Amino acid sequence: MTDTATQQDTLLQATGLRKMYRMGGQSLEVIRGVDLSVTRGQWLAILGASGSGKSTLLHLLGGLDRPSQGSVVFDKQNIFAMRGPRLDRYRNRHVGFVFQFYHLLPELNVIENVLLAAMISRSVPAWAGARSQQRPRALKLLDRLGLSHRLNHRPAKLSGGERQRVAIARALINQPDVLLADEPTGNLDAQTGDQILEVLQEFHQAGQTIVMVTHDHRIAQAADRVITLRDGKLDPEQSEAS
Amino acid sequence: MYKLLLILKYLRRKLAPLFAASAVALCTAMVIIVISVMGGFLQMMRESAQRLTGQVTVSSDLWGFPHYEDLLDELKKVPQIDAATALIRAYGLINLYNNVITIEAVGIHPDSLNTVTGYRETLYWTSQHLLDDIEQSMPPAELRNQREQALYESRRQRFEQIDLRDLGMTFTPPVTRPNQQPQPGIVLGIEVNPYNRRGHDGQYDIATSSINSELTLTLIPMTQRGTVMEPSVRRMVVANEFKSGLYEIDANRVYAPFDLVQQMLRMDEATQVNPETGEPTGQMEPARTSEIMLRGKPGVPLDELRQAVSDTVDAFTAARPGLPYLRVQTWRDRHATLLGAVEKEKMLLTFLFAVISVVAIAMIGVIFYMIVLEKTRDIGVLRAVGASRGGVMSIFLGYGLAVGCIGAGVGLALAASVVYNINKIQDFLTQRFNFTMWDPTIYYFDKVPSQFDTTEVTVIVVVAILSSVLGALLPAYLAGRLNPVESLRYE
Repeated sequence: MTDTATQQDTLLQATGLRKMYRMGGQSLEVIRGVDLSVTRGQWLAILGASGSGKSTLLHLLGGLDRPSQGSVVFDKQNIFAMRGPRLDRYRNRHVGFVFQFYHLLPELNVIENVLLAAMISRSVPAWAGARSQQRPRALKLLDRLGLSHRLNHRPAKLSGGERQRVAIARALINQPDVLLADEPTGNLDAQTGDQILEVLQEFHQAGQTIVMVTHDHRIAQAADRVITLRDGKLDPEQSEAS
Repeated sequence: MYKLLLILKYLRRKLAPLFAASAVALCTAMVIIVISVMGGFLQMMRESAQRLTGQVTVSSDLWGFPHYEDLLDELKKVPQIDAATALIRAYGLINLYNNVITIEAVGIHPDSLNTVTGYRETLYWTSQHLLDDIEQSMPPAELRNQREQALYESRRQRFEQIDLRDLGMTFTPPVTRPNQQPQPGIVLGIEVNPYNRRGHDGQYDIATSSINSELTLTLIPMTQRGTVMEPSVRRMVVANEFKSGLYEIDANRVYAPFDLVQQMLRMDEATQVNPETGEPTGQMEPARTSEIMLRGKPGVPLDELRQAVSDTVDAFTAARPGLPYLRVQTWRDRHATLLGAVEKEKMLLTFLFAVISVVAIAMIGVIFYMIVLEKTRDIGVLRAVGASRGGVMSIFLGYGLAVGCIGAGVGLALAASVVYNINKIQDFLTQRFNFTMWDPTIYYFDKVPSQFDTTEVTVIVVVAILSSVLGALLPAYLAGRLNPVESLRYE
């Protein structure tokens, strides 16, 4: 692949990322100069021990948090140069988050949780027009994830695996450019975790770009590329090239 | 769209909004009920005040002013004036059942006074009271023989023919005893008679009324210099009693025929006497009165009526030098002290309840802050899926608005049901628990007054809704300011 082709395929480009927290009057640097690129269609696993900064890195890539220094370029634009509403739109349209603890809204049922991300950028009249397209898409996604029979159930009535599948559907409803998964199997037993991995693999094979954070080497093996984060820095020895 | 969805979901799923809406509802209902009852009380006082003094009065000192009939004629020509009547006020004594009572005697022309103030309606005793009294003292079911039956029927027929209000209007005693000189009638304020007592239903018992009782009226005429002349004393018979609705009036005032009072006070037309020699001068002194009472045509503003009367009186006095000063007052001016006190009470109560409502706003703030804390992780999720700070903030503001609308709506319904049924509620409490919240023996009105003022109620409802939004403002702002990453980690 030529340099130009690689540049064209690069979806996310993180450069010199640093993130510092102030705790009790002292500075704590959790990300210490990370350079990283994610190409379109890639499944990148970020491996690291607890406290290595991998979740923080994922939040930075998704525009959920701001770095102390550095940039994340998406579509030729540094996302941290974007003002609030554009960054919100970036998170809504181009990124889909999947969390370890699912983070479904308990008052909403399955279909409402999935459609939530689709509703966010639309007013009531706009949603009236878009609903006829978005609802079938949500139903198709849920059907693909084996949740057609759970549409009107609230999260409290679902198993851990089902909740995570709902969370994946919610993350994918807006057809994001990249799916950011933070320990998606971390709160599940091995068998259910494998099922979630299979789901992710299925979407990846369909072309979905995935950045997944995990501390589990076995899970990381499912990815195309694995990088290891140690004390906020990439470990060059344990990071596999794509 | 997600904001509306979440507001509706949050409203349905949580106990906290129920508490917040209940606080808004109770505060709204409380303020509306207090304002309606106080407003009703004030309205009744105003109506009573108008009933007593008409809309505008022209008055002089106690000695009175002459040529009042000419002034009356002039006033009746004024386009803004509908009706007018002359009356005389004086202070005196009555001796009723050997109780000597100081009173304000008012000499009136009942018919013309009725056109100005609706005087007839203030006459308390009606024929129905007499008929009820017979039914009570001689229950038809307990009549033992034909003689009792005949007595019952004859009394009933006689009382059916008597209209006590007509007798009050003509100062005619109901019964003239045989071989007795007919006495002029008098109408007493219902609280003048010391034996009249209001029951817990606010009604008086005709058995203790002074109707047809004899009394002596003593009035003290005076000279223009204010020196007292020999008192005039008349035996009179009570033709009816009146209840104006203002205790101070009903406990002190008596009405007597205008001509009689004028005569007793030596204010009628008489031969002029030289004050130094005491000899007649041969000239006639015109009759005097102390007050003219007026009612404006419907729709004429009070200030306009007052101005029109003032202009006429000024022109009248300018053409007749030597007339005493004539004071023009509206009913509001005359009862300013009393009405002002009640208006101040209403304002004070409204203020106090508004302060209590501020506590409700703080309570809503606390409830909403707790909701925000509880929803912290959800806020993080919403931010993660693209919700803006403003979007998150507007969820909680919309939530506050919805809680305010529901609370104010429920409060309004609650207040309306209490205000419109307040007397039924009072009757229930009295019968069931012997608890009288509005005691007519104290407040002087038979019924709990209330007035549902649409403008006031609208303002209260709007303020309640705005207060609820205000209570939610700070928690909503804090929700919008939450860091999404910290929110997601919140436990």
